[in-house]
Amino acid sequence: MNPVNINMPVIAPLIPEMFVAVMAMVILIGDLFLAKEHKVWSGYLAILTCVVAGFLTFSMSPSHAVTAFYGLFVLDPFASYAKLLIYAGTALAIILSLDYIKDEFGVGEYYSLMLFGMLGMMIIVSSPNFVTMYLGLELMALCTYVLVGFQRDVLRSSEAALKYFILGSLATGILLYGISFLYGVTGSFDFASVGAGIAHSGSSGRLAVLLGMVLVIAGLAFKVSIAPFHMWTPDAYEGAPTPVTAYMSVAPKVAGLVILIRVLVDVMPSLHVEYVTIFTWLAVLTMAVGNLAAIAQRNIKRMLAYSTIGHVGFVMLGIIAGNADGYAGVLVYMTIYLFMNMGAFAVIVLMRRDGIQGELLDDFAGLSKVHPGYALAMGLYLFSLAGIPFLGGFWGKYVVFMAAIETGHLYLAITALLFSVVGAFYYIRVVKYIYFDDTRVEFNFVENRLMQATVAVTAIAVVGLGLYPGPLINICKAALGGII
Amino acid sequence: MMELNNVLGFPILTWSIFLPTLGAIIIWLFVRGESAVRWTALAVSVLTFLLTLLLWIYFDNGTAHMQFEEFHPWITAFNVNYRLGVDGISMPFILLTSLLTVVCIVSAWDCIKTRVKEYMLAFLILETTLIGVFAALDGILFYFFWEAMLIPMFLIIGVWGGKNRVYATIKFFLYTLGGSVLMLVALLAMYFKAGHTFDLQALMAYPFNFEWQFWIWIGFFIAFAVKVPMWPLHTWLPDAHTEAPTAGSVILAGILLKMGAYGFLRFSLPICPDASQYFVPLMVVLSLIAVVYISLVAMMQSDMKRLIAYSSIAHMGFVTLGTFMFTQQALEGAIFGMISHGFVAAALFLCVGVLYDRMHTREIGAYGGVVNVMPKFAAVMMLFCMANVALPGASAFIAEIMVLAGTFSADQLYEMVISSKWVAVAAATSVVLSACYTLWMYKRVVFGDLVKPEVKAMPDMSWRELGFFAPLMVLVLWLGLYPMPVLNVIHVSVANLVEQATSTKLHAAHALAQAEMLQQTVLR
Repeated sequence: MNPVNINMPVIAPLIPEMFVAVMAMVILIGDLFLAKEHKVWSGYLAILTCVVAGFLTFSMSPSHAVTAFYGLFVLDPFASYAKLLIYAGTALAIILSLDYIKDEFGVGEYYSLMLFGMLGMMIIVSSPNFVTMYLGLELMALCTYVLVGFQRDVLRSSEAALKYFILGSLATGILLYGISFLYGVTGSFDFASVGAGIAHSGSSGRLAVLLGMVLVIAGLAFKVSIAPFHMWTPDAYEGAPTPVTAYMSVAPKVAGLVILIRVLVDVMPSLHVEYVTIFTWLAVLTMAVGNLAAIAQRNIKRMLAYSTIGHVGFVMLGIIAGNADGYAGVLVYMTIYLFMNMGAFAVIVLMRRDGIQGELLDDFAGLSKVHPGYALAMGLYLFSLAGIPFLGGFWGKYVVFMAAIETGHLYLAITALLFSVVGAFYYIRVVKYIYFDDTRVEFNFVENRLMQATVAVTAIAVVGLGLYPGPLINICKAALGGII
Repeated sequence: MMELNNVLGFPILTWSIFLPTLGAIIIWLFVRGESAVRWTALAVSVLTFLLTLLLWIYFDNGTAHMQFEEFHPWITAFNVNYRLGVDGISMPFILLTSLLTVVCIVSAWDCIKTRVKEYMLAFLILETTLIGVFAALDGILFYFFWEAMLIPMFLIIGVWGGKNRVYATIKFFLYTLGGSVLMLVALLAMYFKAGHTFDLQALMAYPFNFEWQFWIWIGFFIAFAVKVPMWPLHTWLPDAHTEAPTAGSVILAGILLKMGAYGFLRFSLPICPDASQYFVPLMVVLSLIAVVYISLVAMMQSDMKRLIAYSSIAHMGFVTLGTFMFTQQALEGAIFGMISHGFVAAALFLCVGVLYDRMHTREIGAYGGVVNVMPKFAAVMMLFCMANVALPGASAFIAEIMVLAGTFSADQLYEMVISSKWVAVAAATSVVLSACYTLWMYKRVVFGDLVKPEVKAMPDMSWRELGFFAPLMVLVLWLGLYPMPVLNVIHVSVANLVEQATSTKLHAAHALAQAEMLQQTVLR
């Protein structure tokens, strides 16, 4: 293809991105004309945007990779599937926000920030190029910084946002520094060209290549909370408004893991031995930090922050395996994680007490006597997060462990399984509060049909995927077409 | 598609597994009122029991092949299949499960007053997972049921248990989960080694070399040893048994412990025969520790449930000893011992439950002279205590004598450091020790002077209570006097197992390795 002969760049693959961008701006402007009590309509519009974007992506999902903007943007089954997950994660987070955020200042901006953040993630998962990736990462990061600090009158929220912003900026700097090394050696930002350049760089550029690899991995590890780059996660999770915590716990992780896989597959295949070593130790550390530190937490949001770190540690087994089964395992895991984690957050948000929605573990005491329905759903999510069959979480672990064993990482798999037992402890401790203890505090539950539906749907999905995960696994395997 | 051996022509195992869950869903959605819930749960469990009786009626004693087979692809991406079937080793356990579930539901009739509905749901779902474990012929399907069992059991102990229930249930959960994960690793490792299959019979046939067998055996061993439980992994059991509600203890002692020993029979012996033979000394030592040391520990207990829990560990020591003797007699004795212990231990826990319902204490010292106010109860408990001691006439006697005789004659099969005759002698001390702790407890609780006013006020057993003891009494005596109905069922399958366990896979593994090497040379 000779770009000189084409005046108009190919933009068809970007239709969902453009749609989301337009809708985010429409919501921003429309907000000016909405009275305070009608601002919830912005939220409904944002949910609708996610749904329509889902239809667009689904109907456009190509069987092979399609590029746009002269190779700066790629749409392949892998990106399409990741985008569907991102839409679902964002839409569920918006549903959780509808009631939570309605009394805050600037509701309209809130929903458009969520959509812009989602746009950033969509760009990330579709980037075949460091520049596109950086653009997406920054768009996502800036939106989340603001969202974390959205309750600006709450000290904790502002503090979390500031911490997240400073550490995030540092991580971005590290990432850019790494990219500059790789650019210096290979003279390109394009993943494939950088990869080819690294493979042929010889021993003279070896140090620069390794440095670049380490820094890029560190920068991306920050985004997906891989230890020891996880420090921001507990504070940001605890301080952020709960729906924002829910938002941050799934969709950006999907985007980060997907781009990590892309970078590893396209840029660093020749550095396979090196990055597997790095990731093996990072995975062990991440699982240890996530699962051990979670035990000490009394705040459910903080506990779930460490739980996210722990789950990222498990998912990394799929990345370390580095074959089709492993990468498919990452998608399977994140799909199931989406349902169980969003469901758990939905229950947390539904339990409102004195204006605070779901905070301490003690709040769950006796939930089964007050509201058996939510208790059952929460119990299912927690057992699923702990990875007990007949629930979805078991298969998430199963696929990544299997991939790890297939590729000879037996000791890593055993370590991960032992940490999953440690992890089971803090999940079943919450079940203990829910089922074994007596009620300690009064609840007044949020009455919101959409949120209750979310709980029902995610609970059914967790059970359904636990009983019959076959189709999901096949879909995820098919979604890898083109990248490996 | 393979030929399925199913004489009934309808998926009886699937129905047996999922009928309780179906009933649980119906109760959950449609049944209101505690009484209605109880009756529906009873109806469902009785129906399941009758259904599993068909297995026994139509079972073909003359073959070691799997029967009532079912096969459906489940997760095609990993060749995980929904494959069910029973042979003579697993079929009795399914019947035991469905029978004890009925007993549990009846026994909980009056003493469970809070959250009756959830209680019945938990027991019915538990029954599904237990029958599933015994019917599964696919490694992952087995693991699926094995682990899923944790959820209802965790809730049963935690919600309806005693004072220290939270500690006990979390300990139970983590011990079992921690043990099982290594089994998952072993299964996954075998999957890749044996050509992408979890099919149990394919794994039994695949020639693993010794190193593989060694590690697979260890992976399985930890999972099963926790469940049995074997010393020193047994510490969860006294806590869990003591704190669980009566019916929970019944299921724990009656079925859950058997899952571990069943695992040895189904996985360790046929898949890793060479490693199993290699580990015989270890198993013998651990079993003897269970028989002798744990019996002594049992003697010193002041809590009745704790005492019976330790006695269960000691009896399971007998079972593991018999399992690893690889003689027809010892293996049949081990399996028969599990069935018998299923009845006896269940009945003893129910006896404690009867007392507990009246006095709300399990302390032996709180009782004394019970025979004066509860003569019927004293007679019933006497029967089961004697059965626990393995008095001739009770089912446990048959089991014990078979294991001892089988152990005594195991010498000619292969070499051991010490003669298996001495092992049999050491194990025979259990006959004395179990008499000590059981009869001493019986004496302190039932006999003696009636001095305590609370004991004086205790009413004798009701018809309902007699009702759930009746089938257990009949079975203990019937199998004690005429054990052939069970022995006939297990005989051919055990003979097949003995052949699998005493043969070696090493020659085939060696041949396979050479063939692979040759193939690679040719390719090169």
